[in-house]
Amino acid sequence: MTSRILVVDDDTALAEMIGIVLRTEGFEALFCADGARAVDEWRSSRPDLVLLDLMLPGMDGIEICTRIRAESGVPIIMLTARSDTADVVRGLEVGADDYMVKPFNPKELVARIRTRLRPTPQATADVLRVGDLTIDVDAHEVRRGSTPIALTPLEFQLLVALASKPQQVFSREMLLEQVWGYHYKADTRLVNVHVQRLRAKVELDPDNPKIVMTVRGVGYRAGSVSQG
Amino acid sequence: MRFRTIAVTLLLTSLAIFITCVTMALVIRSDLFESRKDEALQNARGAVAQIQKRLDSSQVGDDQSSMAALWREVQGELGRAASSSRFIVLPTKIDGDGYAPNGFSNRLTADQLSDDLRTRVTAVPGNQAWQSIPLAATDGEEAAGIVVGQQLTVPDAGVYEVYVAYDLADADETLLFVQRTLWLAGIALVAIVAAISWLVLRAVSAPIIEAAETSARLASGDLEVRLPVHGEDELAALGRSFNAMADSIERQISELAELSLVQQRFVSDVSHELRTPLTTISLAAEMINDQKDDFDPTTARTAELLHTQVRRFETLLADLLEISRYDAGSVQLEVEATSLAQLAEEIVEQMGPLAATHDTELRLVAPGGYSPVDMDPRRVRRVLRNLIGNAIEHGEGQPIVITVDSDQRAVAVGVRDFGLGMLPEDAERVFDRFWRADPSRKRTIGGTGLGLSIALGDAKLHSGSLEVWSELGLGTNFVLTIPRGAGGLEGPSPVPLQPQESLADLGSVTEPIVLRPPASDRRDS
Repeated sequence: MTSRILVVDDDTALAEMIGIVLRTEGFEALFCADGARAVDEWRSSRPDLVLLDLMLPGMDGIEICTRIRAESGVPIIMLTARSDTADVVRGLEVGADDYMVKPFNPKELVARIRTRLRPTPQATADVLRVGDLTIDVDAHEVRRGSTPIALTPLEFQLLVALASKPQQVFSREMLLEQVWGYHYKADTRLVNVHVQRLRAKVELDPDNPKIVMTVRGVGYRAGSVSQG
Repeated sequence: MRFRTIAVTLLLTSLAIFITCVTMALVIRSDLFESRKDEALQNARGAVAQIQKRLDSSQVGDDQSSMAALWREVQGELGRAASSSRFIVLPTKIDGDGYAPNGFSNRLTADQLSDDLRTRVTAVPGNQAWQSIPLAATDGEEAAGIVVGQQLTVPDAGVYEVYVAYDLADADETLLFVQRTLWLAGIALVAIVAAISWLVLRAVSAPIIEAAETSARLASGDLEVRLPVHGEDELAALGRSFNAMADSIERQISELAELSLVQQRFVSDVSHELRTPLTTISLAAEMINDQKDDFDPTTARTAELLHTQVRRFETLLADLLEISRYDAGSVQLEVEATSLAQLAEEIVEQMGPLAATHDTELRLVAPGGYSPVDMDPRRVRRVLRNLIGNAIEHGEGQPIVITVDSDQRAVAVGVRDFGLGMLPEDAERVFDRFWRADPSRKRTIGGTGLGLSIALGDAKLHSGSLEVWSELGLGTNFVLTIPRGAGGLEGPSPVPLQPQESLADLGSVTEPIVLRPPASDRRDS
């Protein structure tokens, strides 16, 4: 089954070019040039991934991203002309999984899309435990006791990556490679922001994390298993 | 300044008041003495005259008993007339034929009289002579006194000397009181002068201090500060002209800032506006380039050229944007505790393939710099990549030595090539935008000409430094130094800018000198 990708960009030439690239790589491309219609378009077409330009007429990408995230964990990759801290971090904070700064090259774009579309890598065990959480890898489900916690696929991957090797401290670079598929130095803010988002969902007290622990100067590791 | 002025004022005032007090005390003392002396002389003269008159008028003759009676009367009268209880009458010359009574005394003895006084008294009849003498006071102490002597002629008996002593104790007391009052007044005066000068100085110096503080604030960039202007005096004039100057500076700076802001925004906007079409072009060029094998050779080469130049255009645009961000001051550090030695190792590994294509060996020497220091690793990586890239391009295939070291204050990394090097005047300009040491030199790696400007901006953003040493024929050394704390750099960099070793000292090209991190970082601990 071909993955369907919604390209939300008001620049028709770029959207068309991205469409050509995507189709060459075997994806199906859908287009939306109007920010105000993007959320409706997403609801009706239910794509597998959204490429979202940050600056759009009608409604800006941040707002669209927030609204889609409120309803779904669908992978969202932002396209931005500005890599300035504020814009990118704001996009990540409202739930975008990844971002690409224009100009990007087609191979990079395709690699990013494929990483986000690939299924969660098989963990060593079907059921992982971290802190007082139970992670059912196959069912793609995280529970605290009997209460399920809804995570986006990216957050789930992040948690599984940490939980599958509870003894290991993961540097941000390792997580960038495992979860985001970057094989070279990339923006570690991706990790920082998504760890914050993940903590907001899984930690009882995000200021005093027990699930995703910070190892200062190195990175992160999973919290020890507790019978909570 | 205020305290110094007050101290000087106080010293001078105290001196003046002291001199005045002493002078006044002396004058008052001598005046007081003079008046007491005159009074004593007058009293004594009056008393002697009265006695003389009485003696002269009495007709005692040779009657010894009446003479003795008169003499007793005289004794009582002398004390009353002279207003003193201290007196002595001594016979000087008994030459009369009548009865000559003995002298008498009351609380004054002949021992207390000096010979000089007696000589002066006896020398001239009717002459008054005086002398200061100590007198026994009632409480046993000695008090100042004055004794006045005069001759008294007893008819038919002879000449007697009459001495009357006056106690000056009350005058002394007055003097003491006056002096005490003087000193108290003096001290009070000094205190008042001190207070007044302090108040005056404060009134004068407060606006000056305020003006100094205001100009300091203006100098440090707070362009909106102004001096308050009161009244019409010189300080108000100073305030007005200062404010006028500040207005003018603020106006000009804001004009300049606006102008430069417009320019920066233009550069930034242009760069951003270019990005979207450039993305399309880049995607298209890439797509075409990927299919170049299907084209005829000319078209294939065209596609290739299009592709590489679009790439170059992209990096140029990215660098321009970065520079415009520095110009706009909108760059923020993403600080993370990072080991510079490990970071350098990563970069050396990454740059390996590029170095290999230029037959260049990269050597990492890291005696220190392992413990994490707060820095923005993305920026430091970029600086290192840039420096190593430059070194590979200009290193003439000689090995490139990357040195990482640290001390208590800073960590540093040096990138040394043994290539052609530069003239000192060229080395000064390497950080200039779009500047190239040798315009005719072939560009192989193809930087944008902005790399070192950006690297310098990155170093400054870390409160650090990026310095260059270069000598024609010896090579070039760049040293990036990052301070450990926020305090900025002081002292020399842990990695010396001027390299000590020559290539020969480094050993054979084939000898690996890459050091692995030791178990514990002795320099950082």
